[in-house]
Amino acid sequence: MNNNTTPTSNNPFDIFVIGARKGFHIAINNLMPNVLMAYVMAEILNITGAMQAIGAFFAPAMGLFGLPGEAITVLLTTWLSCSAGVGIAISLFAKGMLDTTHITILMPALFLMASQLQYMGRLLGVADVPKKYWPLLMLISIINSCIAMVAMRFFV
Amino acid sequence: MALENNEPTQEWKVGIGAYIALIFAVLFFSGLFMKVEGMAWLGALDFTTLAGKFGTLQDAKSTFVGSGGTSAKGGFLFALSLVPTVMLALGVLEIFTHYGAIRAAHKLLTPLLRPLLDIPGRTGLAMITDLQSTDAGAALTKELYDEKQITKKELVIMVAWQYSGAGLINNYFAIGSALFASLTAPVLVPLVLMFVLKFVGAMIARFTLNTLYRKDFANEQ
Repeated sequence: MNNNTTPTSNNPFDIFVIGARKGFHIAINNLMPNVLMAYVMAEILNITGAMQAIGAFFAPAMGLFGLPGEAITVLLTTWLSCSAGVGIAISLFAKGMLDTTHITILMPALFLMASQLQYMGRLLGVADVPKKYWPLLMLISIINSCIAMVAMRFFV
Repeated sequence: MALENNEPTQEWKVGIGAYIALIFAVLFFSGLFMKVEGMAWLGALDFTTLAGKFGTLQDAKSTFVGSGGTSAKGGFLFALSLVPTVMLALGVLEIFTHYGAIRAAHKLLTPLLRPLLDIPGRTGLAMITDLQSTDAGAALTKELYDEKQITKKELVIMVAWQYSGAGLINNYFAIGSALFASLTAPVLVPLVLMFVLKFVGAMIARFTLNTLYRKDFANEQ
């Protein structure tokens, strides 16, 4: 994905530019398509009324973390893809379904259970972790996320 | 496993500069310098201040993104507004990494591994690498196991640390920076919490392997 990213100079300005270029590539190649997709998905869920139904169903569980029911869509999406999860969070924020407090509570949880489906192959598979322990590792990530959301309530 | 003193030859050099880079990195993203009474100039050392804000069109309240945008068009314009923050975050991160912030973090992490997770210090490199790249961390972990430098139990504990919040630094600053403007806490707070919880998760794994799965590892050690 990245090109021209090998540092050729010790000048901090040049190094910054290399990083900023990486940032630009990530923003254009990863973030923008995912945010666009998330906006479209959220629109579909909204128009069909599915978002409201999901929100109502999960409201009690999410309420434990000080979040509206719709926040579950952020967590479910981040499980599949981190950038898509962030995209959903952004679109719900833009629609006013999540506020800054909700985003702050969700922030660490988003990354603690991010892209688990992808990382099954890219981490658990590559490192040769016996499949027997995969559910344990997934459960730990979800536990971590829940602890994070509870803890963040003290910082918002 | 009696290889504890046989640390790999590939050891990073960590000078005072690396620690200074780490301290700067922490302060830069901590939000401590954002609004210090009477010392507005400190804002020049603060991420959120430097990320800045978009101006508004004349006499309007909205930025160029406007308000009320929906679906693909709304998403595209909003995503475009996130680009500068991501570029700034990764640009600065590149500088801190270049001056050794990650190497210093590795040095500080190593002594925690045995007491907290019961895994050898030599695993630190793979784990710190995972903070930047899940794939590179996974490859280093596999190498340690293939070379019999770690047991299966140590492998599972190590991967528990890596799996929850994999690629943390990169994901947080590259993807998460899109949400930084919406945080009500300093940027560093979620990051530190996630780092601590990585240890909590790995300790849960250690405990579970030592109890529920104890029989699986009876022949190890």
